[in-house]
Amino acid sequence: MGNCLSHFCSAMGNCLKGSASDDVSLLRGGDGTRESLSSDQIHSSEIFHQQLSESNVPEYYPSPNVRRPLNQLTEEEQIKIAKRMGLIQHLPSGVFDESAKPRECVICMIDFVPGDRVRYMPCMHVYHVKCIDDWLMRSFTCPSCMEPVDVALFLTYETSGHR
Amino acid sequence: MGESSQSSLLLRKQLSELNKNPVEGFSAGLIDDVDIYKWEVLIIGPPETLYEGGFFKAHLFFPKEYPLRPPKMKFITEIWHPNIDKNGDVCISILHEPGDDKWGYEKASERWLPVHTVETILISVISMLADPNDESPANVDAAKEWRENFPEFKKKVAKCIRRSQEE
Ligand SMILES: [Zn+2]
Ligand SMILES: [Zn+2]
Repeated sequence: MGNCLSHFCSAMGNCLKGSASDDVSLLRGGDGTRESLSSDQIHSSEIFHQQLSESNVPEYYPSPNVRRPLNQLTEEEQIKIAKRMGLIQHLPSGVFDESAKPRECVICMIDFVPGDRVRYMPCMHVYHVKCIDDWLMRSFTCPSCMEPVDVALFLTYETSGHR
Repeated sequence: MGESSQSSLLLRKQLSELNKNPVEGFSAGLIDDVDIYKWEVLIIGPPETLYEGGFFKAHLFFPKEYPLRPPKMKFITEIWHPNIDKNGDVCISILHEPGDDKWGYEKASERWLPVHTVETILISVISMLADPNDESPANVDAAKEWRENFPEFKKKVAKCIRRSQEE
C-alpha cells in the first residue's frame, strides 16, 4: 500500500508547485519575447485557445493520473500543458515510407502503412503521431527505451548548435 | 478510430496471439467472451520458488484508455505475498501510472509504459512471485513475516498452494 499511496501523494503535491508568472503570456497570447519561446510553442498555445472555444470541452492530464476538463484546470496546469504541447511539436514528424526500418508501431501493434503520419523520437524510435502524442502528454519518455524526451531534445539542440 | 475501438483492437490482437502461441508460465482468456476488457489468467507457480506447484487465478481489468493507462490486476486465488494485498490486488510499479515529477520521467522505467502487453505484465508478475520487493509492500504483514519469520511465511504460502490445487 505504501507505494501506491506515496505515488498518489507525490502526484498531488507536485500539482501545487508554481511556475514563473511571466509564463502566463504564453497562454494569453502575450508578446512571448522570452528566449525559450519558439514559434512552435506559440503556435501550440493558439491551438490551445481554439480548443478552449469549442463547446465540447476537451480533457487534459495535468498529471498522469489526473484527468480534468480544460475549464477546470488551474492556470499553472494550463501553462504546464501548453509547454508540453510546444515541446511535442518540436519533435520531428513525417510520413512513413516503405524504406524505413521499423515495421510496427509498438504502441498500437499495427504495422506502419506508407502514408501514416509518424513521429521520430530523438532516440530514433518511431511511432504513429496519434499514438505517441497522447502518451507524451502524460509522460515525457520514449516507451521503448525510456529515454526522457525533453533532456534528449535539448542535448540534440546543443550538439547541433556547436556544429 | 475512437479510443475504445483502438484499445479493443489491441487487446483482441493479443488474445489471438496468445491463443496461437501460448507463453510458458500462464494461460490467458476472457472472463466473459463479450467483454474484451476483462481477462482471466491462470498463473503457474514459478518452478524453484516458494510458489512452485500452485495454480493462481487472477483477473485483469483494462481501462478504455489502454495502452495509455495500465490495467488493474487482482488475484482471485488466495495468495500470501508481500506485493499482493489481502484482497488480491497486485501492487507493482509497472502497473502504476507514470509519476508527476518535473516531466514525468523520474524512474519512468519502473512505471507503466504503453508498450506493455498481457504477456509482459504477467512476466513481471511471475518474476515478482519469485522475487518479492519488500520496499513497497501491499501486504505489510506478509512483508514483515518474509523478513523476520521466514519459516512461518513459507508455511502460509504452502497452505495457499495446497488450496489452489484443490480449486
Ligand atoms: Zn501506433
Ligand atoms: Zn526510444
